[in-house]
Amino acid sequence: MVEILNVSNLSTAFQSDYGSKQALKNISFKINEGEVLALVGESGSGKTVTSLSIMGLLPNNAYIQEGNINLIDKKNNQVNILKLTDDKHNLIRGNDISMVFQEPMTCLNPTMTIGDQIVEVILNHKKISKTKAVKEMIDLLGLVEIPDPTQRAREYPHQLSGGMRQRVMISIALACTPKLIIADEPTSALDVTIQAQLLQLLMKLKNSIVSKTSILFITHDLGIVRELADRVIVMYHGEIVEEGQVKEVFDNPKHSYTRNLIQSLPEFKLEERKLTKKDDNKQTKVDDNEIILKIENLFKEFPVEKGFFKESNETVKAVQNISLNVKKNEVLGLVGESGSGKSTLGKSIIKLLQPSRGQIYFNNENISEYSNKQMIKIRQKMQMIFQDPFASLNPRKNILDTLIEPILVHNLMKKNEAINYIKEIINDVGLPIESLRRFPHEFSGGQRQRIGIARALVLKPEFIVADEPVSALDVSIQAQVLNLLEKLKKTYNLTMIFISHDLSVIEFFCDKVAVMYLGHIVEIAPVSKLFNSPKHSYTRALLSAVPKVKGKNKEKILIKGDIPSPINPPSGCVFRTRCPNPGIDCKGGNIEMGLIEVEPGHWVDQCCVNCN
Amino acid sequence: MNFFIKKLLIVIPTLYIAWTVVFVTLNIIPGDPVNLMLGGRPASDEVRENVRKNLGLDKPVFERYTSFLINATKGDLGKSYLTRQPVTTMIKENMMPTIELSIGGLIFGVFFGVFFGIFAGTKPNSMRDTFSMIIALCGISLPSFWIGMMLIYIFGTTLGWVPIVGEGFVSLILPSITVGLFFAGGMARLTRSSLVDVLNQDYIRTARSKGISKYRIVLRHSLRNAMIPPVTLLGIQFGLLITGAVITEEVFARPGLGQLLLQAILAKDIPLVQALVVYMTAVYIFLNLIVDFTYGIIDPRIRLERNRG
Repeated sequence: MVEILNVSNLSTAFQSDYGSKQALKNISFKINEGEVLALVGESGSGKTVTSLSIMGLLPNNAYIQEGNINLIDKKNNQVNILKLTDDKHNLIRGNDISMVFQEPMTCLNPTMTIGDQIVEVILNHKKISKTKAVKEMIDLLGLVEIPDPTQRAREYPHQLSGGMRQRVMISIALACTPKLIIADEPTSALDVTIQAQLLQLLMKLKNSIVSKTSILFITHDLGIVRELADRVIVMYHGEIVEEGQVKEVFDNPKHSYTRNLIQSLPEFKLEERKLTKKDDNKQTKVDDNEIILKIENLFKEFPVEKGFFKESNETVKAVQNISLNVKKNEVLGLVGESGSGKSTLGKSIIKLLQPSRGQIYFNNENISEYSNKQMIKIRQKMQMIFQDPFASLNPRKNILDTLIEPILVHNLMKKNEAINYIKEIINDVGLPIESLRRFPHEFSGGQRQRIGIARALVLKPEFIVADEPVSALDVSIQAQVLNLLEKLKKTYNLTMIFISHDLSVIEFFCDKVAVMYLGHIVEIAPVSKLFNSPKHSYTRALLSAVPKVKGKNKEKILIKGDIPSPINPPSGCVFRTRCPNPGIDCKGGNIEMGLIEVEPGHWVDQCCVNCN
Repeated sequence: MNFFIKKLLIVIPTLYIAWTVVFVTLNIIPGDPVNLMLGGRPASDEVRENVRKNLGLDKPVFERYTSFLINATKGDLGKSYLTRQPVTTMIKENMMPTIELSIGGLIFGVFFGVFFGIFAGTKPNSMRDTFSMIIALCGISLPSFWIGMMLIYIFGTTLGWVPIVGEGFVSLILPSITVGLFFAGGMARLTRSSLVDVLNQDYIRTARSKGISKYRIVLRHSLRNAMIPPVTLLGIQFGLLITGAVITEEVFARPGLGQLLLQAILAKDIPLVQALVVYMTAVYIFLNLIVDFTYGIIDPRIRLERNRG
């Protein structure tokens, strides 16, 4: 094994007005030629700081206290990166070491064509003519499987989807065939199916044209580590707590933090639950007879902004003809990729958005045509938990004011009664009473979400729509919040719609799942049925796309391309353009959307029932 | 292009409102144009009545208002009370010096504004940042008549580097600086803050990860992205070119629209004031149209929105 990068005793700190804070504490590791090394840890563990230290891209307030980073460059010279001037470092950046960043949406210059952005790095490091560089650029775009490269090269980043942009980033990183590519959470901002496409592409490239290139893969997703990496380093609070071959670390974690990290994954918690046989009485009994929420043929369409004078006749078809029932004490999961309409559906149900058509019955009361004023009473019974706990709390109100407001608005209690009541609730969500006087910015992400949950609970609702309540949180915090929600569900006797893009969270938490695609529900079934015998091709692809830590990696069902625009969805079955095995009728768009019951309680879109 | 047609359609009501406001104000404020014309000389009622009739001032206010409008649509903006010349001719005669001054001020202002903006923004919170921003603050806060006089005193009288009066390019330097300094101040501050913002963006980090030199990062990757706010400010500040011209032309005793406007207001020469205001409004709108157009050149995302709209 040839060692290409050796990090030894690296310490990095951040300087702020409050003193300096150490981000990396004396870490050492090495990367061998051609290997994929994964760097895992939760936010704040120092993964990104490590990569930026290697790249020499630390922000101005960060500095390296001590250590060495030795690189064997392309000419086989050993260089200590930390001793280089910025100009000298520029010869290495993009040439010997390149980087793929997390946010494909903001990582490319919006005012330069993607072609120019790739050509730039080629011309910067290779002494070749512009025409030759352009040719290389087109080849690169082909390599990362961007269709129609000559045309795409002339486009700007905003004209490309997130997945496409990340392909462009990969081609920039590949351009000079570097010794090392640092990939910092390259797929975290993307949907699972797109993530699966990209990871597959990355491995394909790794095994063909750049087989000698090493990859330092930074991620919080243990599933990806299991699938891709040869070796793994686990970081915690700026220190390396465990290092070893992937299989070894996962099967037999030495450090308690690693063990914890793995065990807080929903897939493990699920297993744990099965083992302890709690599964049967895990939830409060779902009352089969009492339907709390009933939706019939619900549509939500947004007009496309067309400007000042012209009324638009195009609409974004966000929610299309959705009918479903939620029984008392049931948790219905809504799962789908971004743009599938799951959040819009959630908001339409509690009428934060006025549905375009269709009926909503809440406790047998048709609320679909209720005005905002009429909704005020109903809203006591229907609440929402939002995804971004920070953005959804007013930064200038302390927690007490935030929580007491709805009680006073609805005139439920006197002020001092309300304060006592809120103290109970804040205790229920696992926060100390003192938090009431503090402001949102003083809490961590997990604590803020607890506040968000408390806010939803103060009115003692019967029904809650939780919109991605744990997606912004780290795995271990996610597990805590999910446990809390599970507990509260029982104590407060809640019925819930739980929206998430994360299938393992859904599997852990819900009783019934509806899979959404382009505004339609394509499959709806009890959790165990959906996960064990999915019927719709999209559900299958979605399930197989999730990288799993446990179990063997089954052959992935990859679906091609991006989600079509909801302004002009495909005719007939909306999934037909990406379906891995479409039938003839289905390809022609001759089959209308509509659910058919294949087993009791298991409904699948008719197109896929006919095709298979 | 739909976008620009819409913008052009807005010009007409804007001009109409500007016109009306000027008409109403000039008719409300006290003072009789006839008296001003006679310059305080005694005159019989008959003469006064005659002058009044000649100027069309005997007609009721409303009729004067509508007849102006009707004539204006035919392209006739009326005749000056004072000189009896068509106002359009007077504007044409005085236009060139003001245009020269404005362009000079604009070039000076944009150049120095962007220069100091980059100088400061590429190294925020440094000595050179503070230095540049103090200069910018001076540019904004020092009144232009004072700057004009100081420039005349230092460079004209004491050092004798540039002529104070006269024609041609050299005589344009000091007035241009006077007009441009105010521009430069605002431009510098906004370019700085916008550049600081852009330099913290993810795509700049991407550019750095490619190993590109810092000059290229500023010039090729940052500047264009940072230009939207300064260009917007430029559009807003075009109005200042006009007020700037009024003061600067007075200080440097240059002929031009500013001088003309000042005299017209003092003489209550309603048709001339109206024509000047309408003319300046039109120029202002036109320049802002160019600014809108520039947005599209700067940022392809704005181009896209327009093509959709």
